[in-house]
Amino acid sequence: MNWKLYRNELIVVVSLLLMLTAFIYKNTQISSRSQEMSTLKHTATELRELVVLQNRWAGKRVSKKVDKLEKMVPSSKVKWSKKGKKLTAGYSALTAKELNKLITTILSMAVQIQELKISRNSSSYDVEFKCKW
Amino acid sequence: MSFLGNSKALVLAYSGMKKQSLSDSVNIMLSPRFYTLKKEALPLKYLYQAKKIAPSLFDGLVEDPQKYDYFVYREADEWVFIAYDMEAINDFLVSKGIQPEQVAKIFFAQQASASFTVPVLLGEKEALVSLDNTVVSIPQAVLQKDSKVLSFDDSFTPKTGVTPQGVHASVLSRKQTIGLTIFFTLFALMFFVEGWRYSHNSQAAQEEMQTLLEENPSLQSQYTRESIAAKYRTIDKSERRKRDVVKTLAGMIFKGVKVSTFQMNEKMFKIDFICSDAKVAQRLVQLAKKSEFSSGKIISGNVVHIEEKL
Repeated sequence: MNWKLYRNELIVVVSLLLMLTAFIYKNTQISSRSQEMSTLKHTATELRELVVLQNRWAGKRVSKKVDKLEKMVPSSKVKWSKKGKKLTAGYSALTAKELNKLITTILSMAVQIQELKISRNSSSYDVEFKCKW
Repeated sequence: MSFLGNSKALVLAYSGMKKQSLSDSVNIMLSPRFYTLKKEALPLKYLYQAKKIAPSLFDGLVEDPQKYDYFVYREADEWVFIAYDMEAINDFLVSKGIQPEQVAKIFFAQQASASFTVPVLLGEKEALVSLDNTVVSIPQAVLQKDSKVLSFDDSFTPKTGVTPQGVHASVLSRKQTIGLTIFFTLFALMFFVEGWRYSHNSQAAQEEMQTLLEENPSLQSQYTRESIAAKYRTIDKSERRKRDVVKTLAGMIFKGVKVSTFQMNEKMFKIDFICSDAKVAQRLVQLAKKSEFSSGKIISGNVVHIEEKL
């Protein structure tokens, strides 16, 4: 059989095979890479979330921020005990305004509230607060 | 299939040749009857230039020059132009039992003019001979009785020849072939580029991931990540809940309502509100229930007590 007679068909078949090979290559890349990409994206999102969570709940500046709680009311009203990453604070005879300010500040801090007690004495408030970070 | 075209048997095609019975493909050498020859000393350098002007040289020599195919080669200082009608040649070969697919290459007797210095007999009446470097067919009667004759064999095979285009066997024309090939090749390129881009995107994501891990080496282990994630997610959820509770309770304080006591720890919270009258206390209980504190109830006097787990 003289293959030269079918040269045109051969050329077309070869180019068709080339196209099919490229198509299979593309599909293989899409299926394998999309799964890989999905895993990578998931891990990257998880990592970013972890970094944010770590920075929020175990940030290095929390300790300094907590010191604000001691100075925001007159020192005569505060009993302060800060050991390592734990705080026990007692506030007495706070006005409603001071109480509001204190609670707002506590809530805005990234500390783990272990105990928060508020009790009313006639027109003033006593607060006990324990937290860690 | 042989890649050496010239290793095939060479068959001389002439008018009176016998019908052939071939089992393999052959090379064909055409006698002058099948082509028109013209030699010109033209100032042309390249073969493609000679091929381009070939049809114009045969104006008047052949009926329709555009219908013919042309074979051109250089011989000493002259260009040799050969016009041939491929369709007519094929028809002749088929009539002699040679199918188009059995023809490997076609040569012209003129190409082997150096071999025809001694006559080669064509059947019983004619002979091929080279006169002034041009192979012509002459009657055997003009040959001298004792003149030598050559037998035709494969040694007459020239170096170059015409490869049939397969017009009779091929389903696709040249234009169709070019069109389809370009079409398929373009798509192949597109698919390849797309595949490559997917592969490249994945690499970029891997690099980004690597950068993140390098910035946070403590998170490189999957086990560590899961452990840290579990720890901080629990803290985050619990602390958000505590803050939401305090904010909701603060929102429940309106005219006639004061906080008596409030206590919150890791597991629960409880609060007592002192209300100015029973109506306010009732309204506060309803508000508590609306805020999803279903445990809200009035105890002793106008005190509303709420106690729930976190």
